[in-house]
Amino acid sequence: MHYCRITNEDAVLDGEKLLSFEGAADTGEKLLALYRYVAPDYPKFYKMDLLSKTSFLGVELLKSSCSGLASAPEDAVALLFANSESSADTDIRFRDSYEIERLPGPSLFVYTLPNIALGEISIRNKWYGEHMFAVFPNFAPAYFVDHSALLLDDGAEWVIGGWVNVRNGPDALIFAMDKGENRSRDGFMSRLEDSLEELYRD
Amino acid sequence: MGVSVYIGAEAIVSPLGQTAASNMDQVLSGHSGITLQERIGWKESDVYAAILQGMSGKEKFEQLLEQSLGAAAEQWDPSLLSSEDTLLIISSTKGGIAGDITNPFQPVVSRLETRFSLRHRPLVISNACISGVVAVNTAARLLKAGLYKHVVVAGSDVVSDFVLYGFQSLYAVSDEPCRPFDRDRKGVSLGEAGGALVLSAERSSFAGEPFLYLGGAGANDANHISGPSRTGEGLVRAVSKAIGKAGIDSREIGFINAHGTGTNFNDEMESIAFGRLGLEHIPLNSLKGYWGHTLGAAGIIETAACLQMMRRGSLAASLGYRSQGTSVPLNVLTGNEAPETDIFLKTASGFGGGNAALIVKKI
Repeated sequence: MHYCRITNEDAVLDGEKLLSFEGAADTGEKLLALYRYVAPDYPKFYKMDLLSKTSFLGVELLKSSCSGLASAPEDAVALLFANSESSADTDIRFRDSYEIERLPGPSLFVYTLPNIALGEISIRNKWYGEHMFAVFPNFAPAYFVDHSALLLDDGAEWVIGGWVNVRNGPDALIFAMDKGENRSRDGFMSRLEDSLEELYRD
Repeated sequence: MGVSVYIGAEAIVSPLGQTAASNMDQVLSGHSGITLQERIGWKESDVYAAILQGMSGKEKFEQLLEQSLGAAAEQWDPSLLSSEDTLLIISSTKGGIAGDITNPFQPVVSRLETRFSLRHRPLVISNACISGVVAVNTAARLLKAGLYKHVVVAGSDVVSDFVLYGFQSLYAVSDEPCRPFDRDRKGVSLGEAGGALVLSAERSSFAGEPFLYLGGAGANDANHISGPSRTGEGLVRAVSKAIGKAGIDSREIGFINAHGTGTNFNDEMESIAFGRLGLEHIPLNSLKGYWGHTLGAAGIIETAACLQMMRRGSLAASLGYRSQGTSVPLNVLTGNEAPETDIFLKTASGFGGGNAALIVKKI
C-alpha cells in the first residue's frame, strides 16, 4: 500500500517528508506550494476549492510513487473518500456570497458537494470507476477497510481511499491499494484498520 | 453460492403523502406536488417547487428521515432496526444545512441512533444526486459480502435557501413545473421528500413480498464537474456494468425510470446514453414532474416508486412530457401503462460527473 499525508506542517509520501509548509500563510498557500512541487501543469487546479485541491494533490503524489496506478484500467480505479466536514468550507463561502455580498456565486455553488473532489480526480486521470463520498463524525478506518475489500471484490483493480478535511488547515490521508493486496485479506486487510489509524495519528 | 439480496418495505414521505402507497395513488392519478411558492426564491422571486407544509425548516430533515424509517419498518420487522445484523445508510446532499452549516448530518444521525436504538453507526453517503442509487448499491454489496443481514437505506433533502439560490444562480430552475425530456423543458423544479427501503438477505423478514435486487454499478463521466458528458459516457458505463452484474440480457429490461431532471443538457445526455445502449425503445419515465428533484432522496423515493408501480402493474406517465425533445427519440410514457416484463432499470446522474444504475426484478 502506498499512502500520503498532507497536514498543516508538511506533505509526506510513503513515510518520507517531501515538502515542509513552513512560512506558508494559509491553506491556499500550502496547497499552491505542493501543486508547484508535484503537478505544476494543470491550470484547472486554480479553479478548485480547498477540498478538491487537497484530494487532487494527494492522488498526484500517490501516482508519483505508485507506478501501477498510471497503467490501471480506466474503469477499474474506485475512489473511496470520506471526511467529517462534508463541503462545509465552500458551503460557508457560498452562504456568504448571498448573505453578505448579496450575489449567490455559481462558481462557488458547484463546489458545495463533497463528491466534486472525486469528479476532479476522475477528470484529471480519465478514470470512470465507482466513487463514493461518506461523512463521519471522526476518522473512520473501518469504513475504508470494509469498502475497499468490497470494491476490490466487485470489479475494481485499485482502490484509492481518502480522508480529507480542510477547515482547520489540510488534514488528509490518501492511500492506494491494488487487488493483489486484497487477496491476502487475512494478513494485509486484517491489519489495515490499525495501519490506517497509526498513519493518521502520526 | 451467492447471497440473494431482496428489496422492499418501501416508504415515501412527500407533499403527495405519508406512505409509498398514498404517494403512488396521487402519482397514478396525475397529481403533482409541485406548486407555485410565493417569494421563496432569490430576491423574493416566486418559484415552482414541491414543498412540505406543516414542518418547520430546521426540523424537516430529521422528521422526514424518522417518518420514512418508521414507515419502512412497519412493512418489515420493526424489531430488526435495532438488531446487531442491521446497518442504516443515509443518503443526503445537504442534510440539515438550514440548522448547522458546519455539521449538517451528525446531529440528526445521533438522534436517529438513539430513537431507533441502532447498533451500528449509520453510514452517511453524500454523493450529489446519485447518492440514493449509490446507497442502494452499497447496501447490496455489504449484504452479498455477508457483513450484515439487513441494510436499511433512508434518503432525504429539503428545499433550503442555500440550495434554491444555488440552482437559481446557475439559471437551472424552470419558471413552470419541470418537464423532463420535453421539447420545451426549461430546467428543474426542486422538491423535498424522505424515503426508505429495506435490503435484506432474508426474504421472510418482509411483511409483504419483496423484489430481487439483481445488480448495480456506478461510473464517473471524467468530463466536467457541473455539466453532464455530451456523449453520456459515464451513464453508458454504469448501465453496462449493472446489466453485466445482473447477469441479464438488456432485452429483458421492460421499464426504465430515468433521472430526467428537466434541464436541457441532462435529458439530452440521457437520451444519447440510452441510444448508445440500444435501450431507447424501452418504456421510460422521469418522476421529477411529481416530486420535483429531491436530490439525495431522489434515488430512494424513485426506486421505492418503481417497486410500487411494478406491484400495481401500472407505470406512471412521465408528467410534463408532451413532445420529443431529445436528439435520440425515447419511448417516454405519456399515459399509465402496464409493464412488459418483470425487470426494471433505475438510473441517476449528477454533479461531480457521477452516474449510477440498478436493476431489480419482481418475484
